[in-house]
Amino acid sequence: MKQKQFEAQYGALWEQITQQLDGGKGADPTHFPAQYRQLCQCLALARQRGYSPSLTDYLHGQVLAAHRRLYGTPAERPLTLRHWLGRELPQRVRQEWRLLLLALLAFWGSTLLVGLLVAHDPQWAYSFSSAGELSQYQSMYAANKGKLGRTGGEDIAMFGFYIWNNVSICFRTFAGGLFLGIPALISLVGNGIHGGVIAAWLSQFDITRINFWSFVVTHSSFELTGLILSGLAGMRLGLSWLNPGRLSRRQALMLASQRMYPVLVGAALLTVLAAFFEAFWSAAGTIPPAAKFTVGGICWAAVIAFFALAGRERHAAR
Amino acid sequence: MLDGRLSLLTPEGISLALTPAGPGRRALAWGIDLAAWSLAVILLNMLVALLFGTDSTGRGFYLAGLFLTYWGYPVFCEVYCGGRTLGKRWMGLEVVRADGLPVGWRESVLRNLLLAADFLPFLYACGLVSMLCDRQFRRLGDLVAGTLVIYRTQPKRRAAVADVAPQPLPWPLSPREQRALLDLVERAGRLSPERAHELADLAEPLTGLRGAASLARLRAFAAGLTR
Repeated sequence: MKQKQFEAQYGALWEQITQQLDGGKGADPTHFPAQYRQLCQCLALARQRGYSPSLTDYLHGQVLAAHRRLYGTPAERPLTLRHWLGRELPQRVRQEWRLLLLALLAFWGSTLLVGLLVAHDPQWAYSFSSAGELSQYQSMYAANKGKLGRTGGEDIAMFGFYIWNNVSICFRTFAGGLFLGIPALISLVGNGIHGGVIAAWLSQFDITRINFWSFVVTHSSFELTGLILSGLAGMRLGLSWLNPGRLSRRQALMLASQRMYPVLVGAALLTVLAAFFEAFWSAAGTIPPAAKFTVGGICWAAVIAFFALAGRERHAAR
Repeated sequence: MLDGRLSLLTPEGISLALTPAGPGRRALAWGIDLAAWSLAVILLNMLVALLFGTDSTGRGFYLAGLFLTYWGYPVFCEVYCGGRTLGKRWMGLEVVRADGLPVGWRESVLRNLLLAADFLPFLYACGLVSMLCDRQFRRLGDLVAGTLVIYRTQPKRRAAVADVAPQPLPWPLSPREQRALLDLVERAGRLSPERAHELADLAEPLTGLRGAASLARLRAFAAGLTR
């Protein structure tokens, strides 16, 4: 068949496909798959019969666009986020219990170690932090009335700052995990040391002790969990690259990233939640410390219970 | 064939060609995105100053906006604007999944968060090394998320078949030779006359003519092949 006859025979089909791709009025989407298969046949014929390059290029472009339209339309999954957060996030975290233990050890181990060191001999605080920084923290938490834990600024201003700063740290910790997990581990240990020094330093003065602990107790439950989870997700990436098992390294990385994606989303959401509490609840000087400790205890219990219990199958046989 | 194209086989048995984009072009697109983002941040800053004055509440909105634009802009563009940020749109690039389909939230989020890993130790050194080592110019984020940055294929118009009196070929040509002939005739309009005649001279064994006469004879042969 000559090219001109071919074009005359199938021109109408190509027009219809163009209409479908443009989303025109006369296009019936139920015919699209059949039309697409015909179009593929046209392209194969045009290539095999050696029709002019402009025709094959045209058909190739149409096939490419139609292929994307047909196979690229995402299935509607309205409950995905709930499913992820309610089931997959705690399940995946429990599956990675070894890494979770390592991340917890890296963070809380360094916090406790440095904290006890500073509590034992406050001189040590100067080895980890400068005198200016320590006195700044001291003055931040010494205030009796008004806002705690800040050098100035309103709730919304601090909320913006916490979002920008803390969630970015969370994301960078995850990305850093790609390099064998070492930067993520360093980030966890570094944040742990910082927290340990400040906590131990402020605990030795009567004027700051209650203020400090009542400030951190609530939002730390979400913020530290978010940080530890993002470190865990990052380390999983790095380890899957180091030890891909029976997969290729690239496939192992892809698989690990897909598995860790809900964990990453959960970590980011927890950090945002922490920013809310830190800006609008923790700093309020009008709320008595007893209320803050109660709410903080409830939050910690809720976080731990969520990761320990949520998403467990009712019937083990399923 | 020796070219940079990547061939994807679809379930219909058709091979689709995608052309991965290299580091230079992508760096330009990144530069344009950076400029656009900086401009947006300056505008945001001015807007906040206008609305809130020196009130520190404005700073909260500014920082929250900074966060949303810094991490969210590329993801939002890639998911909702056909895999293209402003810079990629300008440079004619787009992000697709390894199977040639549009990227979704997961791929886009992963590849853009890992930009922070590609940046290390300075100025995207890791990303560049990864792109240069990979056959499809994928940076670390692309490798992890399973995505590709490719040249966007512009929708092409069909060229009309030449309307001259057809002539039969003196002897049959193979499909590849026919295709070369049709390709030359279609491209002749976009070449300078000298170059077109020079190319037509190469077909002297077929046409027995040179220069413009040879080209006219080739057009007639092409009409004979297509009509």
